[in-house]
Amino acid sequence: MSDIRLFSNDDDEVVRGLRSLYAAPSADGYWNELEARIMSRVADVELGWWTELDRWIRPALAAAAVLLVAAGVAMFRAHQTEAEIASESMLSSPAVPVSTAIRPALQDDREARIRFLFGR
Amino acid sequence: MTAAITIETSFRMPSPSDARADERALVIAAQRGSSEAFAQLVRTHQRRAYAVCRAIVLTHEDAEDAVQEGFLHAFRALDRFLPDQPFGAWLYRIMANASLDLVRRRKVRDADELPDTVPMPFRDPGESDELRRRLSHALTKLTDRQRSVIVLHDLEGFTHGEIGGMLGIPEGTARSDLHHARASLRKLLKDVRSDL
Repeated sequence: MSDIRLFSNDDDEVVRGLRSLYAAPSADGYWNELEARIMSRVADVELGWWTELDRWIRPALAAAAVLLVAAGVAMFRAHQTEAEIASESMLSSPAVPVSTAIRPALQDDREARIRFLFGR
Repeated sequence: MTAAITIETSFRMPSPSDARADERALVIAAQRGSSEAFAQLVRTHQRRAYAVCRAIVLTHEDAEDAVQEGFLHAFRALDRFLPDQPFGAWLYRIMANASLDLVRRRKVRDADELPDTVPMPFRDPGESDELRRRLSHALTKLTDRQRSVIVLHDLEGFTHGEIGGMLGIPEGTARSDLHHARASLRKLLKDVRSDL
């Protein structure tokens, strides 16, 4: 704080005038009331968050329920489709034996080798 | 002797560092959601906060509004405050900003609604003496910033640096504003006093 003051000691009256113009209320009751008003507004801010949250809770729960049902339906359908594809593939299996169908060339090689060995 | 020592230690005056530690604890508690801790901070700082606002705005009612707005801003911004910093300095900057915002809003409103009138700048409930009336008038001749600087410095005891921080101006500007404000007020009051 600076020690240079606006007025000299002769101007106490003026300083007092300035102080009285800018004086804060001195009654404790005033400050208690102001504090109560401030805290009430702070509580509104806090309550505001909760109210906002509360406002969003119901739509959010409804949306979550709809999503859950949709996901359940989608999973059921996917499972059903898989089962249908599996059963269709079972029913429409090829007439040719699998081993023959898979590696006919291998079978021929093996036979050729056996014939070659026994033929020697 | 032991009793004397016990009394001395149990009744010692709280030191500034104790007060700072208490305030830090209150701030942390308030940041964790304690309304009582925030109320205690309001109780501790509201008078000084009012003085800061009153130095910037024109009326007692505006100062009240600015104090309330300032505390609301502080509450909303509390999470961003670092508890190791001085809470008062941070809070008074917020108060000053709330007051400056209010002054700007008032100016816009007055410009829109009352273009030909000059508002009475100071609440003056029991003003009967001539000096106070003319002092009020002399203060209206200063710029808003000069008036704020002179009140914050000469009546409230804030340093140039603190005032600069609050009003968002360099310390040197606060110093020169104070110099010019004092010179203007001296000149204006010299005339007043010679008339009385």
